[in-house]
Amino acid sequence: MRITLSMRERKNPYIPIEAEKIVPSILMKGTDVTVYEGNKVRRLADLFEIVVEGEAASADEVEVVLRGDTSRVKRVGEYMDGGRITIEGDIGMHCGNFMSAGTIEVRGNAAGWFARELRGGTVICRGNTGHYCAAGYRGEKKGMAGGKVEVFGDAGDFAAEHLSGGEVIIHGNCGDMPGAEMRGGTLTIGGDCARPCGNMKAGTCTVLGTVTGMVPTFERTGETVGPDGRTFTAFVGDIANRGKGRLFIRDFQYLE
Amino acid sequence: MSELLVKNAYVIDPINRIDGEVMDIAVRDGRIVEDVGPKATVIDAEGCLTLPGGVDSHTHVCGTKVNFGRYMSPEDMRAGREARRGVKHATSGYSVPTTYANSYRYAVMGYTTLLEGAMAPLEARHTHEEFSATPLQDMMANTLFDGNWGVMNAIRDGDQDRVAEIVGWTLSAVKGFGIKLTNPGGTEAWGFGKNLTCINDEVPNFGVTPIEIIQAMIRACETLRLPHSVHLHCNNLGNPGNYACTLGTFNQIPDLNEKRQTLYATHVQFHSYGGSDWKTFCSKAEPVAYTVNNRPQIVIDMGQVMFGKTTTMTADGPMEFNLYRLHHDKWSNHDVELETGSGIIPVFYRRKNLVNSIMWAIGLELALLVKNPWQCMLTTDNPNGAPFVKYPEIIALLMSKKYRDAEFATVHPDTGSKVVLPALDRELDWNEIAVMTRAGQAKALGITGIGKGHLGLGAEADIAIYPIRVGEVDPAQEYGKVIDAFSRTKYTIKRGRPVTRDGEILVHGENTTIWVDPKMGPGHDIGHDAEFVKMFDRYYSVRMSNYPVQDEYLKRSLRMETEAVF
Repeated sequence: MRITLSMRERKNPYIPIEAEKIVPSILMKGTDVTVYEGNKVRRLADLFEIVVEGEAASADEVEVVLRGDTSRVKRVGEYMDGGRITIEGDIGMHCGNFMSAGTIEVRGNAAGWFARELRGGTVICRGNTGHYCAAGYRGEKKGMAGGKVEVFGDAGDFAAEHLSGGEVIIHGNCGDMPGAEMRGGTLTIGGDCARPCGNMKAGTCTVLGTVTGMVPTFERTGETVGPDGRTFTAFVGDIANRGKGRLFIRDFQYLE
Repeated sequence: MSELLVKNAYVIDPINRIDGEVMDIAVRDGRIVEDVGPKATVIDAEGCLTLPGGVDSHTHVCGTKVNFGRYMSPEDMRAGREARRGVKHATSGYSVPTTYANSYRYAVMGYTTLLEGAMAPLEARHTHEEFSATPLQDMMANTLFDGNWGVMNAIRDGDQDRVAEIVGWTLSAVKGFGIKLTNPGGTEAWGFGKNLTCINDEVPNFGVTPIEIIQAMIRACETLRLPHSVHLHCNNLGNPGNYACTLGTFNQIPDLNEKRQTLYATHVQFHSYGGSDWKTFCSKAEPVAYTVNNRPQIVIDMGQVMFGKTTTMTADGPMEFNLYRLHHDKWSNHDVELETGSGIIPVFYRRKNLVNSIMWAIGLELALLVKNPWQCMLTTDNPNGAPFVKYPEIIALLMSKKYRDAEFATVHPDTGSKVVLPALDRELDWNEIAVMTRAGQAKALGITGIGKGHLGLGAEADIAIYPIRVGEVDPAQEYGKVIDAFSRTKYTIKRGRPVTRDGEILVHGENTTIWVDPKMGPGHDIGHDAEFVKMFDRYYSVRMSNYPVQDEYLKRSLRMETEAVF
């Protein structure tokens, strides 16, 4: 089953749409659902041109395709438990919240809180993501607990904050404080970042680029060979949090 | 003129000695009357259990520290979310929900009167502001005096009249209801980096001991003729072996009032611990309950712990610091200049944790071992032991040995050797539950005179109709039905107006704030006492003229005037 949602022209394209119903398991039962546009309740068909092809026995056989300017559509794939969502352009905040199974692929850029508190499944972004990619949420101590997040572009600040399980790969650069409060899982950063893994308790973080503003409460334990065959400096920490996380870094600079 | 007739109600009203009589209740203009005209609105209770509106004599739902619990736990706001509907505001939160959520959930459980357990006088405005956003319950606030410099100085100087003068002036200035002492002296000592282990340690810089503070405040309470007694959170909360301190305190409480207790001891579960450390930790509910049984001047509340997530908040700052060192989670600590302090941390009570399992058992033991239900109130010290939405489960646990055994089988396996709960066969009946959740609480608070906690003629028409027929249900066996019934009333009626029906909120009400204004008589006005004014000017960050809470903060206010007798 393939459900194609093409965004209609909107009078004001900046008004956000809260679309937590755009999930394969809900749309396979029918596309007559409501979403919020700003503070107005709208039928999905008012905002999108909907084309449904084929049939599906379970959510896993469903593919949802989003087309058009979806950069203001929020919470797509929230609590998704199977199937596939392909977004051909950009996507708004909170895409893939709490997802437990299935695949989301974003061909453009994703806004903040991308794949927040992921439980399982795979989330891919071909472009850049905003802040708090694969992170937890305000106050909660456990962030992403399982699954895989792969970002081919750059990520904003606080990527993989509170990571407690699963795998996060960011091929580009990260902003400030990636992996802060990490307590499990693995985080791989292909490019540069600043101040990684502050207050980390456990887990593994690898930075293939340069770290600026290196957190001083990490203990250097020696050198190791990284996934690309070159040497990395190994750290253990964050000592300030009695943590035993592992941090592997190609180059690093402490703040002067 | 509004009239209402509740027909065929199966009424239990312990204060008027009605124990299961099917009768009609007539209401005119918010008061219970003999009969009403034929045009009255009729509600058919269909023989369902009908009780006076619930009274919670110790809860934390409004004020600065509750609000700080909200700040601290944004994750708590992800639970309990409900959209706005009709007159009902949107709600969120579980252990520290929004004021509206608190009010709606209490109303749905049949509660119509609440006492906020601890209001720092300096921060009273915040409490009153939140009261005005608690639409469906009448509110009162006990006022903290545990580290009040003026009071402690007066006690050291042996000036008992002055203690009463300061208490009376403060209560009337901040529109408080009664006296609350939380770890008396201890929080002030903590302000200087120390703590007090028990009632005979001296408060640094003040030269007084907790027992002196407690006794002086009890006498001041009686001097001022306050409707409620001193509300005491004993010293040394939550530490193994602290039952000795609790007994020491209870044994030194004089019996000064014929009409009510002289001391209301709060969350006694947290004060009934034996052992010398966490490994030997055990229940000492038996000696504590025995002492209470022999001292009619003391009323306790359970402070029942229920498993799950919650937030602890108390004016007992040092205790919260100890808890923080145990959990290493978030922690907040706060000092209220010259008056008191507070601490807040989120906790999770686990079944697989031995200490938590023992704590759970102790609360139930206290309620079952205290013979007289008028002396033991059903509370969780919301949200410290558990959020108040757990009350129906506690009621069922007290009414059913079978339920207790089923629950006991799920707790830590070593609990059995540390507690006496499995040996207790007592099962409370409907009347006793009615006493512990409304009649007894109203009597302990001294508000039966203004028509709370009973359904007699002239009483305020606060009525809770629960969807359960007493004769057809055996609470000992069908405890699930008891939980369901107490979780959601068929109707909750507040001041003669149905405010909830089958869990749905019907009106946006307006509460009454009940406060006490002791008349001191000439010669006892501390507000013009040179030394008191000097202390105020010198140490407080506010001017004395800005200190009292203005009347505009109380939308509907019920002033209880008392005549102090020095």
